Amino acid sequence: MRRMTGPSGVGIGWRPEIAGFVAGLPGLRFVEVVAEGVPASGPLPPGLTQLRERAVTVVPHGVRLSLGGAEPVDPARVAHLAAVAQRLDAPLVSEHIAFVRAGGLEAGHLLPLPRSRDAVDAVCANVTRAQAELPVPIALEPIAALVDWPDDELDEADFLTEILDRTGALLLLDVANVHANARNRGADPLALLDRLPLERVAYAHVAGGAEHGGFYHDTHTDPVPAAVLELVGALCARRRPPALLLERDGHYPPAADLRAELDALAATAGFPSVT
Amino acid sequence: MTVYAASGDTWGISGPTFLRYYLMAVSVVVAIAVYHRVRLAAGSTATMTAEPLGPQQVAYLNGGPQLAVHAALGGLRGSGAIGVRPDRRLTTTGAAPSGLTPLEQAIHWAAHQHSRVGDLPRDERVRIALHQIRYGLEQRGLLTDDAQRARARFWTTILIALLGLGVLRLFSGLSNGHPVGYLLLTLVALLIVTLVLRRAPVLTRAGRAALRGVRREHTHLAPASTPAYATYGAAGAAMGVALYGTATLWALDPGFAEQAEIQRQAASGSGWTGGSDGSSGGGDSSGGDGGSSCGGGGGCGGGGCGG
Repeated sequence: MRRMTGPSGVGIGWRPEIAGFVAGLPGLRFVEVVAEGVPASGPLPPGLTQLRERAVTVVPHGVRLSLGGAEPVDPARVAHLAAVAQRLDAPLVSEHIAFVRAGGLEAGHLLPLPRSRDAVDAVCANVTRAQAELPVPIALEPIAALVDWPDDELDEADFLTEILDRTGALLLLDVANVHANARNRGADPLALLDRLPLERVAYAHVAGGAEHGGFYHDTHTDPVPAAVLELVGALCARRRPPALLLERDGHYPPAADLRAELDALAATAGFPSVT
Repeated sequence: MTVYAASGDTWGISGPTFLRYYLMAVSVVVAIAVYHRVRLAAGSTATMTAEPLGPQQVAYLNGGPQLAVHAALGGLRGSGAIGVRPDRRLTTTGAAPSGLTPLEQAIHWAAHQHSRVGDLPRDERVRIALHQIRYGLEQRGLLTDDAQRARARFWTTILIALLGLGVLRLFSGLSNGHPVGYLLLTLVALLIVTLVLRRAPVLTRAGRAALRGVRREHTHLAPASTPAYATYGAAGAAMGVALYGTATLWALDPGFAEQAEIQRQAASGSGWTGGSDGSSGGGDSSGGDGGSSCGGGGGCGGGGCGG
């Protein structure tokens, strides 16, 4: 196997449900895989093995590390992420700035942190612990939140910049989240883009969502709306990330629709088409 | 030197003489039977084309005519061309889509006539379409053809007859108190050889290899991956049924599968071993191993083997 290069161009989240579709994308150079779905030993899912044989970059994306938890990150989970990164010969891994458990209780999904100085300290401590065990750099992804915590001391940009500066981590920017957060708070997404350290972006997530009850929900099961695509264009006009990754987690559409979304992403960012 | 038949010899032939001629006969027939068995597995002088196998052809290889019907149903249901009524009869939702295979056309027509899924194998047009698939697979050297199988079966039938003769001799010899050790050894060996040769394969070696190749290319359709059939389309659904059985139909559309009374089963995966149906191409149950045992050539006939 050839050594992997960093993520580049347009990629797609590899899921077992659409493994055959992903395998059939001729120009694909980059996928992301949910790290917890890849075994640390034993056979890899067959589709992933084929992608590695094609020298497609595979980035493990953790969802259960709970970097934002008050308690230290679970060493076994970090070890698993490290093992998966090694197995896939990944150039980097990514995780969320969020917590998924607290006081021994599993939330089952990603919960946002209050943007306080204490939270920054907790996240930085956990990221540093994880970095000590990981063989490759880590990119951190802020998550969407419908509401702000009442005791937020920092705004989103300062909060992220502080964490990235202190840990040296890369940024995994979720464009749909930026859209969702701005849309749901009546803020300007471009203002946030202008204040984020875009030179630290390893790659960006793009996902679909839907409006319900006056809120934009980052569902990952709907088509990518025009507004999100526009925001991708605005991001690329400022500083184009090395790679864009389409996230689709369910309600998978016909192959032609998925290909059209990938093509739209490529056209917006000026990347070569992968379809 | 001539060995004269002593009065005590079974059937008036001495043990060593019988064994000598018996072994000669057995050797010749085994050689011929093995030759035909090998030729059978090797397939006919096939016109091997690089043309990829369609889902219904793969289904026929994997599970016989029944699975081919189910694969066609999966494709038609995947494209939304057919549905099922509350009375468990099929129905169509509009005109037949273009580009249907003959089997799909036949099933679409049958659905238009509100057939039940269980009646499809007996439908005349369905049977003709299945026969076409079978013929095409035989022409490509993937399925053994009937004439070849009959020839192979003829020679194993001769073996069974020889086996019967030997068993008769064995019992006669035993009742007369003659030594039968060598004969017994010969019979045990012959029994094993006969059992092996009797399992005339339905798939040729090329057929099994083709099936393996298709399966390797379509691991993403395994039900364990909960495949996104909307993304893979009707062809993906059909191929999923072909490779992984009606479990795919249930995953694709449980409401349809239940209402249409489609048995939920996983394909055996080792290729079709089903019966010697020849042109009927219909109502036999496909799938399970041992479907061809005692098929055709006279069962355990001959001299009553195993006496």
